[in-house]
Amino acid sequence: MIRILVRYSVLFVLTLLVLTALSFVLAYLFPGDVLVNLSGITPENEVQRDALVRQYRLDQSYLIQFWHYLQQLMNGNWGYSFTSGLPLREEVGLALPATIEISTYAMLMALFIGLPVGYYAGIRSYSLSDRTINSVSLISYSVPVFWLALVLILFFSLELGVAPLSGRISLMFDIPSVTGFILIDILLSEHIDHGLALRDALHHLLLPTLAIGTITTAAMIRITRRSVIDVLQKPYIAAARARGLSRPQIFVRHVMRNASLPILPLMAIQITTLITNAMIVETLFSWPGIGNWLIQAIYQRDYPALRIGMLAVSTLVISLTILVDMFNRMLDPGRERFERGAI
Amino acid sequence: MAMLDIKNLTLEINTGDSVIKALDKVSLSVNSGEIRALVGESGSGKSLIVSAISGVLPPQWRITADRMSWNGDNLLSMSVSQRREVMRRDIAVVFQNPLGAMDPSAPLGAQLEESIPNEFIRGTWFWQRSQQRRKIAISTMHKVGIKQHKRYIHAFPHQVSADIVQKFMIAMALVSQPKLLIADDPTRGMEPTTKTQVLKLFTRLNQTRALSILFVSHDLLAIASMSHSMTVLYAGQTVESGRMKHLRKRPLHPYTKALLDSAPSFRTNLPPKSSLPTLDGSIPTLQHMPIGCRLGPRCPRAQRACVSTPAVRRIHDHTYSCHFPLHMEKL
Ligand SMILES: Nc1ncnc2c1ncn2[C@@H]1O[C@H](COP(=O)(O)OP(=O)(O)O)[C@@H](O)[C@H]1O
Ligand code: SF4
Ligand SMILES: [Mg+2]
Repeated sequence: MIRILVRYSVLFVLTLLVLTALSFVLAYLFPGDVLVNLSGITPENEVQRDALVRQYRLDQSYLIQFWHYLQQLMNGNWGYSFTSGLPLREEVGLALPATIEISTYAMLMALFIGLPVGYYAGIRSYSLSDRTINSVSLISYSVPVFWLALVLILFFSLELGVAPLSGRISLMFDIPSVTGFILIDILLSEHIDHGLALRDALHHLLLPTLAIGTITTAAMIRITRRSVIDVLQKPYIAAARARGLSRPQIFVRHVMRNASLPILPLMAIQITTLITNAMIVETLFSWPGIGNWLIQAIYQRDYPALRIGMLAVSTLVISLTILVDMFNRMLDPGRERFERGAI
Repeated sequence: MAMLDIKNLTLEINTGDSVIKALDKVSLSVNSGEIRALVGESGSGKSLIVSAISGVLPPQWRITADRMSWNGDNLLSMSVSQRREVMRRDIAVVFQNPLGAMDPSAPLGAQLEESIPNEFIRGTWFWQRSQQRRKIAISTMHKVGIKQHKRYIHAFPHQVSADIVQKFMIAMALVSQPKLLIADDPTRGMEPTTKTQVLKLFTRLNQTRALSILFVSHDLLAIASMSHSMTVLYAGQTVESGRMKHLRKRPLHPYTKALLDSAPSFRTNLPPKSSLPTLDGSIPTLQHMPIGCRLGPRCPRAQRACVSTPAVRRIHDHTYSCHFPLHMEKL
């Protein structure tokens, strides 16, 4: 157990180090002044420039520069945005949770709909209902998320008018950001009508969650179904049947656990797709998430923001992947024998 | 009276482009209180018979039989719940490849406890009941020769040696106190001492509890001494069946004789002149079964008539399927 923890921690730290180095190198590779790319501040005169050079240790060797850069990152000094002039840490702190929020709801949708439907399809494999579920999930999985989001907007927002077109919440409500999750922030804020605000926020959440959740749910159904079918063909299921166990007993005691074990790592791979999809959909719905924010940074050629945004997103993806993999390692007793790769 | 009575069991597997008969008119019966050996080279269909009796063959395979009954009840036509009840209480199976037959994600002890029928457990509260389950599990472990129960009860199948997993498999079969035990190659890969231990346990249970056993093996030496009767299988067909004594002394089918000859210690029992070299060649694959008697291409006595399938003939309780049987002059 401890050995697993240590191994994963080392892996995590090393990966982060590589990513940080990459974001540091980008300051040199991006067009323009290294100092500006790194700090986000355009010096107005030579005195200020010299001060910044000294502050960022640009007069010293690359290694010391990088070491200093690391320390700055740790201390929360991530530089400033070109365009807004605000500290990047604050901007990322607002945008990243918004992305995590819709990704979380999409994942919950996949768990609560995809898992049971997948189990059902697996048990009833090759029946009519299974074939139907299988075809529908295959189609949903193959649909490009961008197109799906547009269709949803066209149908629900423009035709039916049941869901708002863009944004996170109506401007009527002024919700201070505490956790970055809009639903939680609403509950925490005072002086507003909580019921109304929640309803409004949920309305805004509906379409983006549906757009990315559909694809994740389809993936979940397919993974679960396959996994259940695989387990049902195992000799130990035949042996359990030969012992006179009933179908529900076999399902609960032997199928569910064994089928869940391969689902977890496969869903971890889906996390990357999920976050990518979320970032794409954000731009369509003007959802104030990191994807939207990065697109804006690209338009504005805001190099410091791009560097930090890339680092933040990749850190998020890597952390989730490693965490899920580690949990999976601890849960699965047979795993030691196979020694699958970490990421 | 036979407890398990199978007549002309045929199993057809649809491979997509052709239908192959993996079992062709197999007949097999196990009488109450007897140990019946089912022998044949590997690939002859022994495990398929075991799966067919257990009712765990894939549903798309076609099973037909003139008779397949347990204590007079037709196993093929009974309801699913009746069938399950028979498997739960009356028939217990030890599958070959014990590691595969164990849930890899559950501790061995839990799997053993799961096999204890609910009727054996008394107690009002769940902790009393689980305590009793544990007690029964431990005593069964001791019975099959797992002495360090503390070490193994929480272990997972892949963490222990194959011998221990095999013993757990046997314990799981015995814990429901079945009337018939079907053991598919239960001693494969075991150390000689463990093997003797298990064989002794089976013999003892057969004598003290009147447990009937269908003992499947290709290891003639191990079963010859303990079995009362034997059925010989070749390429999915029963070639000979009868009391062990008779088969050993006077096998009628050339294949039985070759099989007995291949086990060295039996040779001394046979008159030296009639000794037949062990058959050359190997068992045909399912896709390339010869027509008629499936032993034909390997059989030293084969003649033209052998291209038609020999009928089952019977002398008292000794049956065989061969056009030109051995030892007939002595009968
Ligand atoms: N799942 C399967 N699909 C197709 N053929 C099978 C399957 N299982 C077993 N067979 C075939 O059935 C024959 C008998 O196998 P088996 O019963 O395992 O033999 P034994 O137990 O006597 O060694 C073999 O030729 C094998 O190839
Ligand atoms: S029927 Fe013919 S081929 Fe078959 S065992 Fe008898 S003699 Fe040999
Ligand atoms: Mg076998």
